[in-house]
Amino acid sequence: MSAAGRLVGLGVRGFRRTPVAWQNPLAVVGIAVAGAWLLVALFAPVIAPHDPLAPTAALYQAPSWAHPFGTDDVGRDVLSRVLWGARVSIPLALLLVGLAYTIGCTLGGLAGYLGGWVDELIMRGADLFFAVPQILLAMAVVGALGPGLFHAVLAVVVVSWPGPARVVRGLVRTTMQSDFVAVARLVGAPTSRALTVEVLPNVAGPVTVLAALDMGNAILLLSALSFLGLGARPPDAEWGSMVSTGAQHFESWWMGMFPGLAIVSVVLAFNLIGDSLRDTFDPTTTVTPLGK
Amino acid sequence: MSLTTHSGSSTSPRSADSESLGAAFARRRSQHPLIFFVARRLVALVFLCLGVTFMAFVLTHLVPADVAAANLGVHQGSNPVAVRLYNERYGLDKPLPVQYEVYLAHLLHGDLGVSEQSGRPVGDDLAAAIPATAELAITSMILALPIGITLGVVAALRRNRLTDQVLRVLSLAGMSTPQFWLALVALYFFFYLLGWVPGSGRLDAAYPAPPHVTGLFTIDSLLAGQLDIFANAVHHLVLPAAVLAAFNIGLFTRFTRSAVLEVLKNDYVRTARAKGLPEWIIIPRHVLRAAGPPVLTIVGLAFGNVMTGTVLVENIFSWPGIGQYSYASATTLDLPSIVGVMLFFAIVYIVLNLSVDILHGVIDPRLQVT
Repeated sequence: MSAAGRLVGLGVRGFRRTPVAWQNPLAVVGIAVAGAWLLVALFAPVIAPHDPLAPTAALYQAPSWAHPFGTDDVGRDVLSRVLWGARVSIPLALLLVGLAYTIGCTLGGLAGYLGGWVDELIMRGADLFFAVPQILLAMAVVGALGPGLFHAVLAVVVVSWPGPARVVRGLVRTTMQSDFVAVARLVGAPTSRALTVEVLPNVAGPVTVLAALDMGNAILLLSALSFLGLGARPPDAEWGSMVSTGAQHFESWWMGMFPGLAIVSVVLAFNLIGDSLRDTFDPTTTVTPLGK
Repeated sequence: MSLTTHSGSSTSPRSADSESLGAAFARRRSQHPLIFFVARRLVALVFLCLGVTFMAFVLTHLVPADVAAANLGVHQGSNPVAVRLYNERYGLDKPLPVQYEVYLAHLLHGDLGVSEQSGRPVGDDLAAAIPATAELAITSMILALPIGITLGVVAALRRNRLTDQVLRVLSLAGMSTPQFWLALVALYFFFYLLGWVPGSGRLDAAYPAPPHVTGLFTIDSLLAGQLDIFANAVHHLVLPAAVLAAFNIGLFTRFTRSAVLEVLKNDYVRTARAKGLPEWIIIPRHVLRAAGPPVLTIVGLAFGNVMTGTVLVENIFSWPGIGQYSYASATTLDLPSIVGVMLFFAIVYIVLNLSVDILHGVIDPRLQVT
């Protein structure tokens, strides 16, 4: 078989391996919307019609053809600010989910693999974080460090690692006890091989699902902190902080409405992806493809 | 979950005469599993509270913030005598472990310390704020549970049809909408444009608070027979509670759907259908009874969501509860209040999960406490 044929063959196999995610139309919508926002984040300077930070028109203009989302209390174009806001929320959410999952998976993996007092220490530590609402802890962290976007990101990382840690620990433990790992060890596979070949693939799927769902949660939590004045501050073009400014100008509803809709659309997109991925990966819910 | 189906009992096959202390303990435990289960969880509660106070201490001392300057203000903060007196009064001149020890000693006597923002004991502040939040949280759960469960059952029965897909989008939208934004949109429409609901607070200024019994205005006003105050309290309660319920309606819908789908796969449902029972008998009698316990397990989680929501929603609706209080505490680095609020949430979390576990065992006798 030619190299190209092999590539196509691989492509087809890869395609078949994730059938439900593709045959579920809502997952495709989620991927499309999330992809669109990713493009907006990349190309905001090109596609935004106006400067997000400089006044470009009269104050408090209702939505019109010139300014589809209206203008705000300083005369800035709300559409441009919403588009630029994607450059704040999406990269930061990726960053903090990456950080939280690195920490969480490492600690959870160690707890599950080593067991004993390490397990006990890490998981009881994680319990503490589950007992207190995330936003309260995050507020306390930002309160201690001082308000600011970077501190808000740190705070969300600090409160987000226990979720993946708990899941990874459970998965590692059940996989390690499974027969196929026992067989692999029995035929002489070293620990490192048993971990990478047998355990890792069984952990990776569910963790991907969780990470997609947590992207949405991360954006929500980060924008909530900014709304409370603990994260991004005006004049930054950040969605939560824009909603907060909009809250002080009820008669100009467009100031807070559109940044909020931006949050809803991007979070919903990630949740749609995560929800259909869960249907695919979760062995306990059998999903019949093609809507049967 | 600490409840599992019939797992190995902890008694060991030993003869009675050579019974060791451990085995005696195990035998006792197998005789009274529920009592031991509750006792163990209560011990865990104590340790968790200890952990929470420790965590709050570490958090609020991550950065050497000048608490005295923050609380004394610019004028007094530059006065060295005032700063020294302030630090001595709250033990802030001592090393951190000593401060922690002092705090724990006070806590053992039920003293949560004095709030730096209100100047009142934290216990009093909490006692004043908790009923307001409890009323809001309970109302929102009363709204979310029946709606979410009904929608979840409908979605499961119409699986993969249009209704299911619409409900999937709606329920996920409920879980994807920032609560602070939803609160503002709701206020914009129902208060600003339509004027259907009062904007903020628990009662109109014209009404006095009902005589204090539970602290929940709806219940207290009914107890006192003040129907006009009851109506007003409900009027104030509806919108913030509905906003808080949105996320959980989505959560209950998703979760009920998958729980019901699990049950529908069972043979006894097929049998019930095969013998011609109508759906309106099968669903409540066969399906809901089996799907109930799994749904119950997320009530604890849902309550946590409500508590998170209160921080944002209470600030927007000027609702004098724990959410507003904790926001004020966190932003002013008011350590005693922060620890107090965290302790409160930790206790609610544990007690709630404990009750769910016990209830779970009562509803589903196949589950055994281990």
